[in-house]
Amino acid sequence: MSVSDDGEDIVSVEDLSVTYRSVYGPIKALGGINLKVKRGESVSIVGESGSGKSTLGLATVHLLPQNASYTGGRLMLDGKDVATMHGRELMAMRGNTAFMIFQDPLNTLNPVSRIDAQMLEAVRSRAKHDNTSFNQEEALKEAVQKLEDVRMPDPASIIRRYPHQLSGGQIQRVVIAMGLLMRPKLMIADEPTSALDVTVQAQVLKLLRELQREYNMSIIFITHDINVAYGISDRIVVMYAGEVVESGPSDKMTKNAQHPYAQALIKSVPTTTKKQGRLTAISGSPPNMLNPPSGCRFHPRCPYVMNVCTTTSPKETIKDGDAVRCWLYG
Amino acid sequence: MVSNFGFFVTRRAINALITVVLLLALVFALLHILIPSPEAMARIIVGNPRASPGITASIIKANNLDAPLYVQFFNYLWNTIHGNFGVDTQLHIPEVDVLKEYLPITLELVVVGQIIGVLIGLYTGAIAAANRNRAPDYGMKALYLTTWSAPIFLVAFIFQLILAYWLNLLPASGVVDPILYAPHYVTGMPLVDALIAGDWVYFWSALQHLLLPAFTIAVIGFGLVTRIERSSMIDALDRDYVKLAYMKGLSKRKVVWGTAFRNALIPIITLVALLFATSVGGSVIVEVVYHYHGMGFFTVNAAFNYDYTAILAFTIIIGISVIAANFVADLLYAIADPRVRLT
Amino acid sequence: MAISNPFRRKPIRATEVAVETQTEPAKTHEVKRGFAFYVEYIAKDKPALLGTVIIGAFLVFALIEGALQEAAALLHQSPYNANLGTILLSSNPIALRFSEQLLPPSFKNFPDLLLGSNFQGQSLLSSILYATPHDAVASLLVVGSAIFIGMFVGTSAGYLGGWTDEVMMRLTDAFLALPAIVLAITISVLIGGGFTSLLVALTVIWWPTYARFFRAQALTIRNKGYVEASKLSGSGWLKILVRHIIPNSVDPIIAYATLDMGTVILTYATLAFLGIGVTSGYPEWGYLSSSGLQFFPQQWWYSVIPGVVIAVVVVAFTLAGDRLQDLIGGRITY
Repeated sequence: MSVSDDGEDIVSVEDLSVTYRSVYGPIKALGGINLKVKRGESVSIVGESGSGKSTLGLATVHLLPQNASYTGGRLMLDGKDVATMHGRELMAMRGNTAFMIFQDPLNTLNPVSRIDAQMLEAVRSRAKHDNTSFNQEEALKEAVQKLEDVRMPDPASIIRRYPHQLSGGQIQRVVIAMGLLMRPKLMIADEPTSALDVTVQAQVLKLLRELQREYNMSIIFITHDINVAYGISDRIVVMYAGEVVESGPSDKMTKNAQHPYAQALIKSVPTTTKKQGRLTAISGSPPNMLNPPSGCRFHPRCPYVMNVCTTTSPKETIKDGDAVRCWLYG
Repeated sequence: MVSNFGFFVTRRAINALITVVLLLALVFALLHILIPSPEAMARIIVGNPRASPGITASIIKANNLDAPLYVQFFNYLWNTIHGNFGVDTQLHIPEVDVLKEYLPITLELVVVGQIIGVLIGLYTGAIAAANRNRAPDYGMKALYLTTWSAPIFLVAFIFQLILAYWLNLLPASGVVDPILYAPHYVTGMPLVDALIAGDWVYFWSALQHLLLPAFTIAVIGFGLVTRIERSSMIDALDRDYVKLAYMKGLSKRKVVWGTAFRNALIPIITLVALLFATSVGGSVIVEVVYHYHGMGFFTVNAAFNYDYTAILAFTIIIGISVIAANFVADLLYAIADPRVRLT
Repeated sequence: MAISNPFRRKPIRATEVAVETQTEPAKTHEVKRGFAFYVEYIAKDKPALLGTVIIGAFLVFALIEGALQEAAALLHQSPYNANLGTILLSSNPIALRFSEQLLPPSFKNFPDLLLGSNFQGQSLLSSILYATPHDAVASLLVVGSAIFIGMFVGTSAGYLGGWTDEVMMRLTDAFLALPAIVLAITISVLIGGGFTSLLVALTVIWWPTYARFFRAQALTIRNKGYVEASKLSGSGWLKILVRHIIPNSVDPIIAYATLDMGTVILTYATLAFLGIGVTSGYPEWGYLSSSGLQFFPQQWWYSVIPGVVIAVVVVAFTLAGDRLQDLIGGRITY
């Protein structure tokens, strides 16, 4: 296994492409993605549905759907190339290196087994990979401890329930606790809060932020809500139509976004401080990925569109500390 | 939890009882729509289409055939509940005794056949799902589309021909070697009674005779299980909980069989009850081809003798068995899927 | 990659990337599709195409054979002289030929003995052709009347709701608790033998499934806005049935009826095998098979061949029906 040059990065993506086979022909869900996540860093990936942000998350842990495949570039996770992993390597990577939380709380736990069984499974798997012995009672204690860590009230009773007896917020906490049991270096969260109530959402986000510091994990937080991204991460990556259009520190991005799409995303966020009564919606509809627009993929919806945008794809340039792909700055 | 489950069981039991009463009403209605006149009914009861008016009149009187329909229905209901299915018009013994003799044999055949069929279906379905849209998937589909389209007697002939007559592996017909003495009647099922009596020779012979008919029933039924298992397995494999299981670092085998399969099993339980009716229907043909003297064999004979009490008794018993199977399936469903119990 | 990725999604999932936020207006309820659409849809799938060709051949043979037999009856001729067997194979399905008893399939006298001969020396091929009209009529008539009865009972139950609905549902429950073969035996014993009574018996068995299907359709449609609008504008139940329920049911009904015609042929053959509903001298497929039983296993082809013919025809219906099921998402709701 080749070790990445930069040992600082837990995730290092270079020019990654992922393609879906479909009945209508190949769909390039990700094209030429570059992304680095440092150890202990929290990065948000923001984009609308279909921008490829979830595909990027699944690609990181080698859980792409059957009809999708890595078609170019490299994805290094903790110094190892994910695309070429198989069998035991995959099993060791999942859980130990990275853990992923999914979107739909109704679907995310096995409906036919109890919480304790599902959590113990995680401990047992970790023990197997670490070649340590597994003790049922200690494991159970540890599971309860982790549930306490995720601020779950009355963990001893929760752990004996079935998933359908828990609320959405409780389920996401259980899943996070399960992740903590695995002690991963990287936690990927694919819109874990979008199905929850706003108050619960805020609690879960706060929890993730705290746990990240406590356990010194890296977090990749996938969301469509730039507001949430700002709250949880050090850095924001904005994706559009399978490409990264802008990335930079959270503060800078939200205050001074460069790319017209990122600007539009921020304008569409309702805030109490906004004096104007109108929210700005992004005009037009997301691109058809079977036949994406030529040149810059955002040009059909861009208010600053120029001739060059329709023909040539912009290169990444650095503007005020943000990496941005737009002809306005190129 | 326990009280919830108790409540669930009670409610399902009541539902099943209502369906049984409706089944009786249905058979009764069918009987009276098809044979509206008491005289015709009387002729059928004596089993003689040319019975004289004197005889029919006495039969009508004896069986209350001229009473209002609702009175007749309640008499009928009352008799059935007390296990009084009338006297067989051919054998002149109570129908219950005939049922006691033949029903267990058929039940044993159907249950064994069904178990084999479900196992084949689960295995082929899981394989098809794990190899979706590849050669094994298409192969399984070709297999089950053919078997569920083939007439049962054809499947029976082919098995009998190849395995019994050409390869001499198994006996071609009968329930058990006729020179053997039957063990003491306990359940009426040859295998079970032989086990209880510890009669291994009889058990071995009964098992050998059972295999071909049971496999025939399995072959005609497994396709439905394959099909449903395939789609529910594909559905389960797509769920986030399967991805989460992978994220726990579990092996593919553990995820597929431990997590996905367990969930994909749930719809199969309901299907098994549905399949039970099909298997019982199929057992009629299977019993005729293999001379397996169970209820199906007897029913066909009764049909030719216009043995109306026998036919009706068998129809009702089969209907009740199917409703009972549905009831058991409901309970199993509740045990397998914790979500059902609370609703 | 040594280990295959287990997450197999439906192809549509990939396209969601592209289409999920498209702002097309929601699909309206009525999808108008011509006959050509179904032909083209089936033709795209080779096994289904094969099935359709076999079904077509079966129906054409049945039509010609039936017409010949009817014409003979009208002209007061014996139908045994006017049939495809006599005309095409010059082998009368009923004439006794003692020199040709129980012959295995062969190319001798092609195509007369292609499928062998029975114990009276009659060509099995000729006998099988002779019986096609019964199977075709049974499948078309039983499924047709079941759809018709089920449509009226089901839609009225679903539309009226309440007690009518409750009774109807429990009644179909009771019907479905009885295996088709057992119920068919019971009914045909009660009303006496013969082809017509068997058709009645099969229809009595078959309607409840369709009633359930149409009830479900009526329930869905009842709650949709456009029916409300239609009700307000003063149209009656019959109009809603014709305008909304029937057009919406075309796809599932075509898919289900195609599969069901195969099942009816199967059940019919099985009953004929038992000798139920068989007119003496009429070579029903199932009956042909069971009359070979006494020569089993020595002349095994005698029993097996009619069974194989039944299987081929039913498989044809299954292949076509299976393809049509994909049209409605492989799911039949009733």
